Formats: sequence, structure tokens, C-alpha cells
Amino acid sequence: MSRLDTLAATGPWRLRHPGEKALLGLGLLGCAVGLPPWPGALVVGIVALALLLGPARVGARQVLELAAGPAAFITIGSLPLLVAVGGPGVVRWAPEGLPRAAELAARSLAATLCLLLFAATTPLADILPRLTRLGVPAAVTEVAALMYRLLFGLLDTAATTREAQAMRLGFVSWRATMRSAAGQASTVFVRAFDRARRLDEGLALRGYDGNLTVDVGSPPVSVRFLAATTAVLTIVIAASLWLRAVTT
Amino acid sequence: MHIAEGYLPPVHAAAWTVVAAPFVVHGARAMVRQVREDPDSKLLLGAAGAFTFVLSALKIPSVTGSSSHPTGTGLGTVLFRPPIMAVLGTIVLLFQALLLAHGGLTTLGANAFSMAIAGPWIGYGVYRLTRRFGLSIAVFLAAMLADLSTYCVTSVQLALAFPDPVSGVVGSIAKFGGIFAITQIPLAVAEGLLTVLVVRLLVRNSPKELLRLGVLRRRDETTTPATPQESRP
Repeated sequence: MSRLDTLAATGPWRLRHPGEKALLGLGLLGCAVGLPPWPGALVVGIVALALLLGPARVGARQVLELAAGPAAFITIGSLPLLVAVGGPGVVRWAPEGLPRAAELAARSLAATLCLLLFAATTPLADILPRLTRLGVPAAVTEVAALMYRLLFGLLDTAATTREAQAMRLGFVSWRATMRSAAGQASTVFVRAFDRARRLDEGLALRGYDGNLTVDVGSPPVSVRFLAATTAVLTIVIAASLWLRAVTT
Repeated sequence: MHIAEGYLPPVHAAAWTVVAAPFVVHGARAMVRQVREDPDSKLLLGAAGAFTFVLSALKIPSVTGSSSHPTGTGLGTVLFRPPIMAVLGTIVLLFQALLLAHGGLTTLGANAFSMAIAGPWIGYGVYRLTRRFGLSIAVFLAAMLADLSTYCVTSVQLALAFPDPVSGVVGSIAKFGGIFAITQIPLAVAEGLLTVLVVRLLVRNSPKELLRLGVLRRRDETTTPATPQESRP
């Protein structure tokens, strides 16, 4: 399992209704991208981080590790705003772009923390069956559910194949590394279709009629959680707008 | 590399979602039709999608010595066709956002357009145009250009969102392209070479699946050159 899915499956909010967590995580995400970056990104970022480290019980180190990849893109992607192209000198340092780059980085980091809050508390297996209620065709959600079912086994296959190749000096040169990577891909391809075929045979023996309907547990929606979420979102919006009004 | 969550201004994020939607809806309709006609294909589509996800997680060495991950769009589009890839690619991007925090939900439309639509369609067009010159050449060009075009489109998306104060969108394309597309050329070449090796192994190990997917024609089975491993004594 991925680290985020493991956190979601073992966290204290595991049994909460996905709709509650969507309202909180995605509501904050909406605030992060919709409110003015200053001070909206700061307020949303602090609230999302506090929720991650507090009630959602995600460790600070885990948050840092999970946010490292997006942070690298955000940092590299903000650099072009500090450079101007054209005019005399063709390319020049543009310090006037610093506030814009800082706003962009802050908004994106705050939004990433909101995404982490939702993903680290809501297992994908709880989300996929509910996508049909949002208008996604059942065939597409079932294919997505099958992908989810197959992919962790296939990731293990790729990792095991890589380990076996490493023990046979499969990565000693560029050519050997390319050949080993191709071997992993072709092994995964063969295994993926073999597992699909075996799954098909197993389902056929159990009277498969083309529907992969699964029983989705539906925990009760907590009115208290929804009320608290609404209060948090209201406070975030009000605080952001008030701070903006007093600082500009 | 996907555009991170919240990176695009809300108007741009919404606009790219609107642009990507017809392609994804068209692919979803094709998928629903295929599943209705052949319920067993649902399992194969699931396998194809999972394979696409795992493919994007493999490490490949760049020709400059560093390593990266393939986009997988070239191989995916050759094996499964662009309409299906539009849906599978979007699902893979959703999984990457929710399982790995790579990309995002607000930027899903923009990322889907570059990685699940533009890359696969350009790669497939090149594949069809060059197929007459041989499977390996067509696969290499399709995979390389699908990878490169994905990053070129990403650079254009970023440039439109953040135009240069002096030279506008054109200057901004040069800036973002310099970071996200030019640096990708060695990786695109590496992905092209890797994809050729993968397809050669698949021709040897899974000819039935390739025939079923329409990648291989009956006469290709006997005319495809042997891989280096095959030629060993």
C-alpha cells in the first residue's frame, strides 16, 4: 500500500463518512485556491497543518516527506517568475517578481497540505465506489476499482523483479539498467494480464454477469463533525478577509 | 512531473478541466460501450490501467546519468489507443494525486490534458505515420514524442498562467520550456529506447495479447527482429 493509503486506513478518522472528510479537506482546498494568497494561503496552510498533526494524527516527519515531492515542483516552478525574458540583455534577474513567486509558492503549498489532509484520512477504496453518485459511469468506476485492486500486487512484482535483477548485476551499466527496466515492465505486463485472466475465470465460476457491485459500508454522517467543519471554513474565510483588510 | 496542487490560478485550472472533459467523456463512452459489448474486457482494462500506473513508477536511467520515471503514455497509447488512454491516464493521475500527492485535484484537468490526452494523441499519430518503417522505429518515435510533447504542453500551460512581464506568453514559454521541456529531451530519448525494449520483450513473451490489442499483425510475428537476448547462443 502507499504511505498515504496506509495512513488513511489506520488513522483515527478511518470510520468517518468520506463526505465529512471531503467537506473538510476539499473545502479547505477551495479556500486555498479561491482566497487571496495573502493572507489566505497562510491561514489555510496553518489550519490544514494543525488538523494533520492534531486530530488526523499524521506525524510531522511523514508530512514533510509526503510534501517533499510537490515542494520540489513548486520551488522549481516558481523560479521562472524571478527571471524576465526580452528587452536589453535578453535574460535578466527580475526581483519585482518575488512577491508573485512567493504568493504562488504559498498558495500551492497550502493547497498541497489540504490534499494531504484529505488523502491521509480517506482511503481510496472508500472514494471510488462513491464516484458513481457524482455521475461517473459505473463501468469506469469498476475499472478504476480493478486497477486499485491489481496495482499493489503489481508494484510488489516490479520491486521483487528489480531486487532479483540487482542481485544478478542488472544495474552495473546504462545498457544493463535499461534492459532490466524493460524486463520489469514486460514482467508486470504479463502478470497484469495473467491476474486479470485468472480473476475473470474465478468470477465466471461464481456466476459473473458483468457487474462488479460491491457492498460499500455507509457509516452515519456526524452532524457535529459537519457543524465543526462549517465553523472552521467560515473562520478561515473570515480571518483571511479580515487580515487582508487590515494589512492593505 | 505533474503540476502540483493549487499551482494554477482557479480560472486556468477550471479552463483546462473544461478543455480536457470532452476527450475524457469520449473515452469513457468508448469504455462503457466496450464493456457492454464484452463484459470480460472490464478486467483487461483494469489490468491495462494498473500496468500504466506501475509503468510510470519504474526508474529509468537518463542518457545524462541521472534517473527518472517514464510517463508511460507512449507505450499506453500504442497498446490501448488514445481514447482509452484518456480515461486510464486520468484515473492514474487521480491515483497519483490521492496515493502519492503527485499532481492534484484542482490541477487534474491540466495534467490530464498534457499527460492523458495531448501526449497519447501525438504519440499515436506519430506511431500510425511511421508504422510502415517497422514496429521498433514507430514505437521509439511514438514514446519519445509522447513524452516530450507532454512536457511541452505542460510548459505552455504554465506559461499561459504566468506570462513574462516583458515578453508575455512567448517569453514565458521559453522560460518554462527551458526548465521542464529541454531538460526532458534526454529522458524522452531514454523512454523511447526503453519502450522499444519493452515491446520487443512483449513480442517474444506475449504475442497473443499484442495480437488481441491490434499492436501486432500476423506477419509481424515472424518478421520482428530478434532481441539481443534471443541472438545469444
